[in-house]
Amino acid sequence: MDWSAFALSLRLAVWTLAILLPVGIWAGRRLAWRRFPGQSLVEALLALPLVLPPTVLGYYLLTAFGGAAPLGRVYEALVGRPLMFTFEGLLLASLVVNLPFAIQPMQRAFEAIPIEVREAARCCGLSSWRILRRIELPLAWPGILSALVLTFAHTLGEFGVVLMVGGNIPGETRTVAIAIYDRVQAFDTHAAGIMAAVLLVVALAAIAASYGAAGNSGRRRG
Amino acid sequence: MAEGGLDLRVRQRGPIPLEAELACAPGEILALVGPSGSGKSSLLRCIAGLLTPREGRIVCGGETWLDTARGTDVPTPRRRIGLVFQSYALFPHLTALENVIEGLGHRSAGERRERALGLLRLVHLAGLEDRRPRQLSGGQQQRVAVARALARDPHALLLDEPFSAVDRSTRERLYGELAELRRDLRMPTILVTHDLDEATMLADRLCILSHGATLQTGTPLEVLQRPVSVAVARLVGLKNIFEGQVVAHDRSAGTTRLRWQGRDLAIALQEGFPPGSPVAWAIPAAGVLLLGPDAGARGPRDTAVACTIAALTTLGDQVRVALRVPGSGPASLFTAVPRHLAARYGLAEGRPLTLRLRGESIRLLPPDAGGQGPNVA
Amino acid sequence: MAWRIVPWLCGLLAVSWSVAAAAPRGEAPVIAAAADLKFAMEEIAAGFTNETKHEVKLAFGSSGNFASQIEQGAPFQMFLSADENFVFRVADLGKTVDRGQLYAVGRIVLMIPKGSPLRPDPTLQDLAAALGDGRLRRFAIANPEHAPYGRRAEEALRAADLWERIKGRLVLGENVAQAAQFATAGGAQGGIIAYSLARSPVVAALGTFAPISDAWHSPLRQRMVLLNGAGPTARMFYHYMQQPPARAILVRYGFVLPGDLPSDR
Repeated sequence: MDWSAFALSLRLAVWTLAILLPVGIWAGRRLAWRRFPGQSLVEALLALPLVLPPTVLGYYLLTAFGGAAPLGRVYEALVGRPLMFTFEGLLLASLVVNLPFAIQPMQRAFEAIPIEVREAARCCGLSSWRILRRIELPLAWPGILSALVLTFAHTLGEFGVVLMVGGNIPGETRTVAIAIYDRVQAFDTHAAGIMAAVLLVVALAAIAASYGAAGNSGRRRG
Repeated sequence: MAEGGLDLRVRQRGPIPLEAELACAPGEILALVGPSGSGKSSLLRCIAGLLTPREGRIVCGGETWLDTARGTDVPTPRRRIGLVFQSYALFPHLTALENVIEGLGHRSAGERRERALGLLRLVHLAGLEDRRPRQLSGGQQQRVAVARALARDPHALLLDEPFSAVDRSTRERLYGELAELRRDLRMPTILVTHDLDEATMLADRLCILSHGATLQTGTPLEVLQRPVSVAVARLVGLKNIFEGQVVAHDRSAGTTRLRWQGRDLAIALQEGFPPGSPVAWAIPAAGVLLLGPDAGARGPRDTAVACTIAALTTLGDQVRVALRVPGSGPASLFTAVPRHLAARYGLAEGRPLTLRLRGESIRLLPPDAGGQGPNVA
Repeated sequence: MAWRIVPWLCGLLAVSWSVAAAAPRGEAPVIAAAADLKFAMEEIAAGFTNETKHEVKLAFGSSGNFASQIEQGAPFQMFLSADENFVFRVADLGKTVDRGQLYAVGRIVLMIPKGSPLRPDPTLQDLAAALGDGRLRRFAIANPEHAPYGRRAEEALRAADLWERIKGRLVLGENVAQAAQFATAGGAQGGIIAYSLARSPVVAALGTFAPISDAWHSPLRQRMVLLNGAGPTARMFYHYMQQPPARAILVRYGFVLPGDLPSDR
């Protein structure tokens, strides 16, 4: 049982959520309500991680940000640590890979708000900020919540990109998914089994909680 | 324009063509009437600030809300308007009371709840404050929408087809409540509807719209009886529209002579049209009288016309009669009689009879430049 | 309403951050070790920590993979390769402190899991027969492209004149530990893995093995090197690897020590 791998996975998931929550809300709203030229292209790009094999993403991340690449070297000069094989590299990979899981459900949730409801809010004299807080977010909340849960579960399970971009460095990039793989290779099926079971329970609990919350707020809504 | 009223002038070629001008005094109800796609809702949205026209000027209550020439465009939340949407657009996750309170942001926190309760009482929704929209009937939701619009203490009240989604009996009741409410309304109110009868019932003045252009504004009587063009005549439901030629005006007799299909019709004096000029003219169904055996005395401006009944359509307790006048092609005159009279006169298709055109009701119009031809029924 | 989740999220963030931050990250150096060292290194590292009270973090994988990662700037401080050519490669790229030192010579073995119809014949003749009579369906080795033990397995199979016939039936492990896993977990009827892995009690219990003659492949000269930026703990560990306690462990796991062979430094 590798607790540091758990803490690492959790830390990765929480940071991914923390960053993708505001990003997803902003992007989801923008895509839902204001058509701009090239929007279909943007939406297709955002959906790419859903269909691309994780190793393709890992490859491009390595090529773009690896120690040999200019971007990677600039980063290392600025920050003092390389981007690859560190937690920050994992976080970057996780953000890219989870964009569609975060943005798409939120976009659908915002699209579902009738435009007249938002116009009515403006007619009531509400500022944009208040409309967001009081009208849009509460109505979009079930979609936002399911986006968060999907992202959380997906981050915990992400394997291919993490392995390529992070290596298997204990305490730094050895997430639970990698640790399970590692334990199986070490013939430690006992530890692998425990970690897999805990991961399963955590994922189930997260999904059940989100469906419960979405159901509740759905009932309370109009 | 009266002090505190609404004055609007907008123009744009696209994407939605608009060429409109209207004014509404405080306490007055102005109905915007026109078929779907005529731009009525767009004008409402211009007033609300939800749509900015290419060119325009909108002033309300002394404030300039829009002036494209000067670059003024007050954003919607800063215009004090109350807009009741066709779909009500209530906030589905808030109670009726909370919906109304959202419109009270300009009041101090302490008095918001009281004022909201008062507004709900005004629209006869006392006791239903804690219901969510999906727990309310259509008519109740509409009242919440009205209360929320009024909560804003608006300088203009805008109603976008507010009665179209409601059933008949509720609609009748709501008409009555609107009539009651307007006693307290001191702001200009604009009501958008496609239903001319509703507009006639509720509004002080009508404004007829077509393809984004305001064609005629006036009291219901003026518009219905004295349309200014063939387009307006068609839009207000006049079916009997023909072409003719002015022969002469007789001022002493108060009569104008009109030539139509080789006949001379004597009509009320309308000197605006010079003798010899081609005109269009319209006569309401009520001006087309079927002469029965007990016909009354002929008026000085009545003309008898022989015709044949082309078709009879029974609709409710009325019978619509389409008449063919020899020399003017297929069925061209329309009128309606109560069913019992149709039975009494023994009206049947193909039967010839004489009708009387009431010269008093004949209205001259500029010739139809629209090219649709007269009397496309 | 739904905003109740925000304090939970913040709490979760704080807890996980502190837990992760509490792990001594910056202190324990990460050592990249070839997969055949899996069990041996864990023992050696435990001994090291016992004696010096310092910790090291071990990462196991194929030597070729590690060489690539080091080229890419992976933050390892020491590299124990199963093939000294990989050490020379990264040294030539200037990633290392010096050209390192030989620490062991490895051996390959034929591994037959329990219940397999194959026999542990070190001459591989039974393997040849099994290919013919259908007893062998799948055979596991490490990937010859980047795992030294995989390459030696290929050399041995070529030397026994079996490569062309067997290569269609191979399952390739990403490193020799995964090959051992494939060879023992029932998917393959046998495999060629590192002697050091077969010597661990865990693996030994899973089958029988027969050492393959080292004349059949180029030697597995295993070299270790300190990488640029290696800290004091890594240097201490490098030194410890050359001391008797560590060397004794290596011997126990079947490695031949340098100095015991005439051709070594």
